[in-house]
Amino acid sequence: MEKVRVMIVDDSKISRTILANHLSKTNFEVVAMAADAAEALKLYQELNPEIVTMDMNLPDADGIECSKKIRGYDPDAKIVMISAMKDASLVAQGRAAGISAFLQKPVNTNDIIETLLLLSQQRVSKIAVLRESYAKAFERALQQGILNLIGMQSKITLEVYDKRYLSIDGIAVIIGLTGYPVGRAVLHMSSETMRNFAKIMLGTEDVDEDEIHEAVEEASNIVIGRGVSNINDVFKDKEMRITPPGTIFGTGIKISSPKLTTFKLTASTEVGDIIMNVGFAEGE
Amino acid sequence: MDAKLVNPFIDAFISVMPQIGFPIPKRTRAYIQNKTITNFGVSVMLGFTKQIHGNVVYNMNEDTAKFIASTMMMGMPVAEIDAMAQSAISEMSNMLAANTATNITALELEVDISTPSLTVGKGSQIKLSNGQFLTIEMDLGGHKVDIAIAVDKVA
Repeated sequence: MEKVRVMIVDDSKISRTILANHLSKTNFEVVAMAADAAEALKLYQELNPEIVTMDMNLPDADGIECSKKIRGYDPDAKIVMISAMKDASLVAQGRAAGISAFLQKPVNTNDIIETLLLLSQQRVSKIAVLRESYAKAFERALQQGILNLIGMQSKITLEVYDKRYLSIDGIAVIIGLTGYPVGRAVLHMSSETMRNFAKIMLGTEDVDEDEIHEAVEEASNIVIGRGVSNINDVFKDKEMRITPPGTIFGTGIKISSPKLTTFKLTASTEVGDIIMNVGFAEGE
Repeated sequence: MDAKLVNPFIDAFISVMPQIGFPIPKRTRAYIQNKTITNFGVSVMLGFTKQIHGNVVYNMNEDTAKFIASTMMMGMPVAEIDAMAQSAISEMSNMLAANTATNITALELEVDISTPSLTVGKGSQIKLSNGQFLTIEMDLGGHKVDIAIAVDKVA
């Protein structure tokens, strides 16, 4: 998914910085920041951002006036009002000026990202929100984790997983996710991959089955823990936690998680595919 | 592990199951297990966080799983552990764990639970702890359900 280009209009440098920080770790790219209405219009015309966040109080006009000017130039401009005050009259005036959404300061990261995602696509599904905001955090964690643990670069693919269950021949480490969103992550690999992975991770050829299982379990704990930290880093108000790992090994095992929206992340490495399936109790 | 933490699981099982159409369960046995259990056929694992850390597994054979799914679906015959049956058993486990969490909260301990993961695969090994834990065997209308309780208070 390409980055969504955003312009922030706010007269307060602090507010602009906070918002830009919120967005920097996500799929949004802040391409412009304006401190007043004149600058906002000029930058909009130059850079044509996909979304504008608009403060109400600007030195040379109010946010509604500024929005009208932008919409006068581009009738399809998508504008979100972010103001300290939000009441029915402001919303009514704002709607008349073509503002799409209204948020109140201080904005909650989750709200702003979901609002911007909703605006950035004609019809964005909850799945897209989960994918961009949450599954992607695990994608980074998987790649970094594999590099740190066994020193290998990997190519990761991320896709929505719509099969009813995961088929396991080898090992699967299940780690529950609590907080928001609640769910679970499963890291799994074949017996052969698991052996080679553990040997490299432990730095010896001489490993028994227990050590192999423990190595994969610890690796999963590190990778999934890092994924959750990536999420908590962005969504400071939604404290996600991980439960201790449960490890399943054997052949012909099926693991299902009814009602979860799940994503499959496949890391292709020299020792074989390391697969993470992460699911959230949200979505359609 | 702390014996006080076992009762919330047993109490939840005894109070929830009759509410969803089962006979009153009886506790038949308690035994210590070490690190791993063997999947009887269908098992559901849920994790706990906050002041309680660990996992619980509800472990049963396929016949029991079919009996549970069928009872939950108002007696509809269940020939195999299909999506509907899996969903019913996961839902039951969710209710049991949520009720357990409420019981644990009554001990003034904060707790949060993950979503259930259901595993089908008789004979597969499930490692749910690094040490010993207690498993409670429950009798549910002549069917056996093991509750493997590998949870501890966070120090």
